[in-house]
Amino acid sequence: MFVGFGVAALYFGQKLAIGTAVRMGPGYVPRMLSMILLGLGLLICVLSLINPGEQVEKPKWKPITLVTIGIVCFALLLERAGLIPALIVLILISSLAGEEFKLLEVIGNIVVLSILCIVVFKLGLGMNISVLQGVW
Amino acid sequence: MDLLHNLALGLGVAVSLQNLTYALLGCMVGTLIGVLPGIGPVATIAMLLPITFHLPPTASLIMLAGIYYGAQYGGSTTSILVNLPGEASSVVTCLDGYQMARNGRAGAALSISAVGSFFAGTVGTILIVLFAEPLTLMAQKFGPADYCSLMALGLIAAIVLASGSVTKAIAMVFLGLLFGLVGTDVNTGAQRYTFDIPELSDGIDFAPIAMGLFGIAEIVVNLERHLTRTGAIKVSSLWPTSDEIRRAIPAVLRGTTLGSVLGVLPGGGPTLGAFSAYTLEKKLSKTPQMFGKGAVEGVAAPEAANNAAAQTSFIPMLTLGIPSNAVMALMVGAMIIQGIQPGPEVMTKKPDLFWGMIASMWIGNAMLVIINLPMIGIWVKLLTVPYRFLAPAILLFCCIGAYSLQNSTFHVMQVAVFGVLGYIFVRLGCEGAPFLLGLVLGPQMEEYFRRAMLLSRGDPMVFLERPISLGLLITTALLLVLMALPSFKRAREEAFQEEG
Repeated sequence: MFVGFGVAALYFGQKLAIGTAVRMGPGYVPRMLSMILLGLGLLICVLSLINPGEQVEKPKWKPITLVTIGIVCFALLLERAGLIPALIVLILISSLAGEEFKLLEVIGNIVVLSILCIVVFKLGLGMNISVLQGVW
Repeated sequence: MDLLHNLALGLGVAVSLQNLTYALLGCMVGTLIGVLPGIGPVATIAMLLPITFHLPPTASLIMLAGIYYGAQYGGSTTSILVNLPGEASSVVTCLDGYQMARNGRAGAALSISAVGSFFAGTVGTILIVLFAEPLTLMAQKFGPADYCSLMALGLIAAIVLASGSVTKAIAMVFLGLLFGLVGTDVNTGAQRYTFDIPELSDGIDFAPIAMGLFGIAEIVVNLERHLTRTGAIKVSSLWPTSDEIRRAIPAVLRGTTLGSVLGVLPGGGPTLGAFSAYTLEKKLSKTPQMFGKGAVEGVAAPEAANNAAAQTSFIPMLTLGIPSNAVMALMVGAMIIQGIQPGPEVMTKKPDLFWGMIASMWIGNAMLVIINLPMIGIWVKLLTVPYRFLAPAILLFCCIGAYSLQNSTFHVMQVAVFGVLGYIFVRLGCEGAPFLLGLVLGPQMEEYFRRAMLLSRGDPMVFLERPISLGLLITTALLLVLMALPSFKRAREEAFQEEG
């Protein structure tokens, strides 16, 4: 909990440094806000030091990491390889994040969603994305 | 007569085939996500924001509004049948609704909640019509200083009524304001916080933030938890007995009144309305021991209240451009995407949009009763779809949606970044809603603040000299003082205790 707030305060402080570096004109409001935020960050820190009652739930790293990796992969693959490969990778990775993983179900999911996406986004809304780079 | 004329105009817009279709679509999607636990209206609207970019403004706003109040209806269905609230606002419905269902009165509970919701929705819509014009006229007299103060009041009030730690919520508002400043400064053209990334010079796009903060973070949190499901209860006859009707009517009336009032307040909205209505009914009832064991009033009042509140929370957004909760913040975002600056001008400059949206809300409410009652079986079937199918699908739609904003993968990356940030917020017990409100209001507030300062030649006293501004600031200060008072603090904690 304290580590979390320490990081938060540090994060706010970093914002402050940038705020003061900007010229006075456009930097006025950001600077003011940063000051207030820093103050509040410190206040929260102090408050949590005074009554260290509540405990922050221990985070599970697997879902958040896998989901983020999935989205990043999707972003990287979408323009280079097309929608379908990006979609397959995203679904595979994010399915791993859950508790159960059954390959057959995931494949079924991929097929259904692929068809849905092509119909809705490519044909329905006429979006300008390639389904499979170089093919369609 | 002007009113009737306006309503006629609105109805004319709302019954066009296109707008009817989108209203229906919105209601269907809303009911769907209301039924499905683990995805709420905020996440859904965030997800659909990019798609609305491809639609005409009126249609897209009608659809988004439909999702919002549709979710209120859908949420009650699952609360009653499987004791699983689809939405936060129907948590209280579980208490008595599920008990009624176990007593074999599932059908009665469902029809009472649907009809009560429809009644409340109608009243809410009428209220919007009545209040929209006077409020708009009032808002047009506001100067920059007044606006700045009004926004401050809106933000602070939103915190007071929201659950969770106040200090954290205030910090979140300021963080949101700060994020809202990213991009090119309007007055000087200077780059702020852009880190030399060209994509950031237009500011951080609203949609990726909302998707990451609410969509992604929600999915991740749900993936961590194992969602258990109980079997649904068979629906008996839909007709309530005359005794049940007799007890439900006053409860619906009270719930509607309470919900309407709480909906207008910043930070209020459906959840608060439902909880307060339940508490009120319990206090007023001659047989309080019946509550929790299947009391009709315990279903009727909260259901009416959450729907009334869902409608009236549109009032400050439509007339003043001030969102009162996270969903309204998203609606403001949707308007900005469409190139409409929310505020009092919307009504005068875009009467078709304004009145069309209001008329469509009423039509949408009527649709929902029809969608919900006969189709309950289908919605309950949908509950059996496991979350491990849903999560990847939601993720995928978020990603494609973000990409479609400007056909750039940069936005998809932003979703990822804000997803992580949103997850950290959740873990630290910080709420996303104040952040979102700050983000939406940030740029406008800075604009007004600087304009006011410019007019007064840098004298901050201008905020105290103008009567409207002074009044608003005093209210804000009072709210903050109230928050600090120990007795009020306790009452507030108790009020939210029942939620947990």
